[in-house]
Amino acid sequence: MMLKGKTALVTGGRGGIGRAIVARFLREGARVYAADLTPEGSLAAHDDDGSIFVKLNVTQEADAIAAMEQVAQDTGRLDILVNAAGIEIEKTIEETTLEEWNLCFAVNVTGTFLTSKHALPLMRKAANNSTASIINFGSYDGFIADPGLATYCATKGAVHALTKAMACDHGPEGIRVNAICPGYVDTPMLQSFFTGDGSGGGGKTIDQLQQAVRDVHPMRTYGTPDDIANLVNWLASDEARYASGQLWVLDGGLSAQVQQMKL
Amino acid sequence: MRLAGKRALVTGGRQGIGRGIAEAFLREGATVTTCGRGPRPDGLTDSVIWFPLDVTDAAAVEELAIATDGTDILVNNAGVQVEKTVADSTDADWDAVIGTNCRGVFNMCRAYIPRMPEGGSIINIGSISGQVADPSMALYNASKAFLHGLTRSIAVDHGPQIRCNAICPGWIETGMLDAGFDLATDPKAARQDALARHATRRFGRPEDIASMAVWLASDEAGFATGQLFTVDGGLTAASPLSPGLF
Repeated sequence: MMLKGKTALVTGGRGGIGRAIVARFLREGARVYAADLTPEGSLAAHDDDGSIFVKLNVTQEADAIAAMEQVAQDTGRLDILVNAAGIEIEKTIEETTLEEWNLCFAVNVTGTFLTSKHALPLMRKAANNSTASIINFGSYDGFIADPGLATYCATKGAVHALTKAMACDHGPEGIRVNAICPGYVDTPMLQSFFTGDGSGGGGKTIDQLQQAVRDVHPMRTYGTPDDIANLVNWLASDEARYASGQLWVLDGGLSAQVQQMKL
Repeated sequence: MRLAGKRALVTGGRQGIGRGIAEAFLREGATVTTCGRGPRPDGLTDSVIWFPLDVTDAAAVEELAIATDGTDILVNNAGVQVEKTVADSTDADWDAVIGTNCRGVFNMCRAYIPRMPEGGSIINIGSISGQVADPSMALYNASKAFLHGLTRSIAVDHGPQIRCNAICPGWIETGMLDAGFDLATDPKAARQDALARHATRRFGRPEDIASMAVWLASDEAGFATGQLFTVDGGLTAASPLSPGLF
């Protein structure tokens, strides 16, 4: 029970990675708010897992304020914030409309900004006895580019820089800020990438695409949401009390290698 | 003539990148000395001075440093690679790779730094493989990471008199690259696949690296020190997924 007595809020908390984080936090003894657009999030169904659903559109400041008011009334503090809500646009910049660009930035960057901004007063209260922890979602795509994902890559680069800036500004207040940078993780977003219009697929079946992506990883598989939740849990816990301002790549070794030439 | 009046020493100038750098420095007006194991290579421009040198021999390096006193630009290019995993590497492999790529560069820097005039520039040839791993190149990858760390240390310890930077080449058209493709089951397909992974759709040439070396050696780079300059045609900016997969 690494998070006993702590209160956590996870945006995108009913989506692929977010849901696994919520489940893990609950198992570790935390009180967990799962914030999302709908109770189902990006997955088809939702079983009651003991988390508290908060309706939150991360692009709307009023939603962020209302969510934090609810947490303030219930517990008066927030120990852990996970900014896991995110979307991707599978296009080059030439194909991307201004509306798509703005939406992707609104969710991935502005959402992280707004939710964190309004969580800070509650997190300072939590930091009185230990440290409070904000965990943002960057991506390995914030370091190196996948083709046809220009806007997404740019938003994740922005989250990486924002993470370091927040860590500098709020470290003295006892608030740690880190970013997880996942590689390929089996989520609705990844499956949409395999089947989406932007992918083309090159005449390959989804199974062939999935296998090809697995094969390029040194670990010969892509990650599960639980793999990501394992590191989020550590960063959220007091064991990580000295970890701040870092970008934590978790990608099965994908970005450790030079491109895998077919030799 | 961006290097007029400067004196340069380039290790490993027999062929490939080192030869390209030596020739580019010459065109920019520098006095160029290069060295390598064995006799003067055929076709090397007459005005380039050649010394036989094994950089692993510290005494010989010291002698050359005395003979070339007043060198402004030192390029540590000499390097060897052994294509093995850690488990397969022998003591002899270790001595060959670490001896030349690490100890050799150390020997050169230790001998030259005290003799370099104010405004001197050391350029180490690192590699993208020192930042991300090439498979079955364990000692080589590690030796290049050593070089990157040494580059920063020299910049920190010996500024402001001396600047020190590293260039990290990607895949450069040399005999070494062709030999690699010849080992593939389908050399032509392997070459096409590798090309598709470069945003420039071509491999590098020795002159691509030489042009960066000229800039780093010149006074235009007076504020550049302690950094790694990757010149790889976009290879490491892209994710390692198979090109055309999506």
